[in-house]
Amino acid sequence: MLTLSACADGGGGSGGGDGDGGSDDPIVIGISLPLTGDFSEPGKGVQRGYEAWAQIINDDGGLLGRQVELKILDDQSNADRVVADYEVLIAQDEVDLVFGPFSTRLVVPSARVAQEYGMLFVEPAGAAAEVFEQGFDNLFYAAPAIAQDHYNYLADEILAMPEGERPTTVAVASMDDPFAQGTAYGLRDKLEEGGLEIVVDEVYPPNTTDFSPIAAKIADSGADMVIGGTQYQDAVNLIVALQQLNYQPQLAAFSTAPTNPEFSEAIGSKTEGILSPTGYTPDATWPSNVDFVEKYTEIHGNPPGEDEANAYTTGQVVAAAVEAVGCAEQGDCQQQLIDWLRDNEVETVVGPLTWDETGKPQGAHLIQQYVDGAIEIVLPGETAEAELIFPKPAW
Amino acid sequence: MTGSLLLQSLILGVLLGGLYALLAAGLTLYFGVMRVVMIAHAAFLVLAAYLAWFANSRLGIDPLLTLVVTVPLFFGIGVLMQRLLIKRLRPATLTMMSVLLTFAIALFIEGLVGFVWGGTQRRIQLSYSSASIEIFGARIAVVKLIAFGLAALSLLALYLLMKHTRFGQALRATIQHPEAAQLVGIKTEGVAGLGFGLGLATAALGGTALSLDATIYPSLHWHWIGPLMAIIVVGGLGSIPGAAIAALVLGVGQSLLQVPLGTTWAQTIFYVALFVTLMVRPQGFFGGRLAQRF
Repeated sequence: MLTLSACADGGGGSGGGDGDGGSDDPIVIGISLPLTGDFSEPGKGVQRGYEAWAQIINDDGGLLGRQVELKILDDQSNADRVVADYEVLIAQDEVDLVFGPFSTRLVVPSARVAQEYGMLFVEPAGAAAEVFEQGFDNLFYAAPAIAQDHYNYLADEILAMPEGERPTTVAVASMDDPFAQGTAYGLRDKLEEGGLEIVVDEVYPPNTTDFSPIAAKIADSGADMVIGGTQYQDAVNLIVALQQLNYQPQLAAFSTAPTNPEFSEAIGSKTEGILSPTGYTPDATWPSNVDFVEKYTEIHGNPPGEDEANAYTTGQVVAAAVEAVGCAEQGDCQQQLIDWLRDNEVETVVGPLTWDETGKPQGAHLIQQYVDGAIEIVLPGETAEAELIFPKPAW
Repeated sequence: MTGSLLLQSLILGVLLGGLYALLAAGLTLYFGVMRVVMIAHAAFLVLAAYLAWFANSRLGIDPLLTLVVTVPLFFGIGVLMQRLLIKRLRPATLTMMSVLLTFAIALFIEGLVGFVWGGTQRRIQLSYSSASIEIFGARIAVVKLIAFGLAALSLLALYLLMKHTRFGQALRATIQHPEAAQLVGIKTEGVAGLGFGLGLATAALGGTALSLDATIYPSLHWHWIGPLMAIIVVGGLGSIPGAAIAALVLGVGQSLLQVPLGTTWAQTIFYVALFVTLMVRPQGFFGGRLAQRF
């Protein structure tokens, strides 16, 4: 392996040495993605996002005046393959930069490889808490927030309300699932710290179909606010069951389901006032997002989804560091890029991002609400498309 | 637990118990008539629910109207299943082999439903899905009331059929003592086929009632068959009134236990009841001698 890499270095002489000389060689970015196997659907979405980023930046004159070239390998959704892929990309192909793969399961082993070689590792997926507990000092998650922080804007908004007006009691029901519980408990804990009382706290197994008893408990508690740690169908069932009991909260927040296009029809269009966090929306008015959505739609004929946006964000984050530091090559440059990202904020399509020392993003998700039958961003104030409705109208 | 929550849970429990009662009645009938353990009963239930969903969402027909087709259809399938498959099992190993056979049928139906309609969860959306009426401060969802009414009417019809018709008498005679029934001139083979069809027809009724207010997906039947099996053992194998009473008691029990214990643990009431029954009174609390003979 050592001789091989030395050979490649001597023979090719591509990236490394010539970079700072301002040569016309392209900047090569190594990526491994699950293009086949379990994660192939989101994997391909990430691929579209990376390729759109490369195309848009190249059309714009490239990075540091050099064209960008992506080298994408298929790891078949396999954690062993992903390790081998990044070894090859970094040691053998001597790529100038690397971008992360998709999903926590693949992010952790590949980040470890990147760490051994001292490479900056910005990744588009891997929101689970364990990613940030591995002690990586080179990793940055290119999305607004991990699950626990999805509702931060809503929590701040509620806690900022005057004592007499804000809700005082909260009912929580969550699926027994790390992501769903992460979102719901993040909000629950912040509200509890802020002095609100948690009057119902239910967990249900993923196969639950009868939500009447849970709904009965929530309705009986008369909680001012209901939080659902939900995926999709469980949210529909819980909301219908709550409506059957004529429970009318002042606030109702459910994760994931309300952003689904079929949601409104599924609960009989009685959606008015329902809140939901979202990591990305093509309608967001961040400056670079308007540009991204327009150009992406030109290339693909449809607006980007969250996977595409997170991949694009990864590109933006790395590009910002490269432009600021003025280098893109293996070696000392990588540590300079890492140090720069630690201390700076980056404008992206999902909003401005900053990170703590574990690479955890310091933002929160946008909060959407159903207003007049359409789902609109209501928080934070600077990107809002509509005013937050409180108390929520009857459903 | 507040009084209003208790009342609400009680009402929900009765409504749920009514549905359990209808579904368990069919299951206990197969065993009573033929000593068949019908694992596929819940799969047919899910199939009927899918047909109701399909008729409603794709053809715009009220789910209750599908009964006109599904009840005779399921009755026919039941008769054919008995004639073509169950009857060929050797009497000596019938009960055990029927588990294998109907297990296979359940898997087949689950696969078929998934193949035709996909694995995503479905739910019928009616204009009155979230409507409810208020009684003493408790709320009763209209769809649940309709489902309960359907179950109650079907059970009543089944009861009248068993008690007051010649076919019912023949069926009961076959359940109580097949050889003696044959001696007095009952064609037990034919009666068994019709009994099987009758059991499956209750699955059509139960599935349609279920579809009004529940999410359905192909593998949902595994979720139902366990509690139903427990109910018929607690009620006494082969006893329809026993199944109905056990269903109501356990349905209400599950609903009430959900308040202090939560959803996950409340499900265990069926199996706790099953263990207790087998330890204390293996023939069931309402059944007769049937279970003792096995």
